[in-house]
Amino acid sequence: MKLLNKTISNMKTTIEERDGNLVAVFEGRLDTLAASEIEKELQKLNDCEGRDIMLDCAAMDYISSSGLRLFLSILKNAKSKGSHVYITGCNDNLRQIFTMTGFIKLFEFK
Amino acid sequence: MPMLYHKSLTLQNDLHAIPTLTEFVTAACEIAGFDDDMIMKMNLAIEEAVVNVINYAYPEGITGNVEVTITVDQKDFIVVVSDSGIPFDPTQKEDADITLPAEKRPIGGLGIFLVRQLMDVVSYERRDDQNILTLRKGLPQQNQ
Repeated sequence: MKLLNKTISNMKTTIEERDGNLVAVFEGRLDTLAASEIEKELQKLNDCEGRDIMLDCAAMDYISSSGLRLFLSILKNAKSKGSHVYITGCNDNLRQIFTMTGFIKLFEFK
Repeated sequence: MPMLYHKSLTLQNDLHAIPTLTEFVTAACEIAGFDDDMIMKMNLAIEEAVVNVINYAYPEGITGNVEVTITVDQKDFIVVVSDSGIPFDPTQKEDADITLPAEKRPIGGLGIFLVRQLMDVVSYERRDDQNILTLRKGLPQQNQ
């Protein structure tokens, strides 16, 4: 796979600490290009001992399998450290994709 | 059967082509009369099929093309994804097991699964040294 700096994705990710928990806010389209761009940023969620993780999807309108793969990596890491991962604010379209892929049973939804 | 729409887009095997693909697919979906939910689903299925080519069809460091042709007729939305890469039939890939718990879920394998879930018909043929993947989705009833 080759990456050139000619197009950037339509995605913004912010990671912040809120009430002692880690919150990742996704805005826009989490397509394959966006997933490749934010993978590094999301590693900030790796050190989550003693904290829960919220994946705020209220402003996200699309997720590809590479985005799902990132979510699953976050979950696997968090579970191994005893942390919970919550998906918040996802719209009906996204919920269909989470259902279709069985993610609805893996994550806790708020 | 009269054609309502027929257009092709040639992309390089580079993930930066994805936003161009999204624009192309969305325009065709609007002609087909798909609603936002269906536009999202068609974008997802087609992106997964194209990303599969971008990631696996050509050896690392080799530039190659992937061509996407969308045809809309009275009944169907038909997408043909073709490339000149190594022979690969994604329809032969086993479905991901979506019932496994997180610890046992493999990290990949959902791309082709989603293509199958989202489209009505997925078929593959190898012709003239090309991989040709055809995806078909019926149009909403009121359009027919």
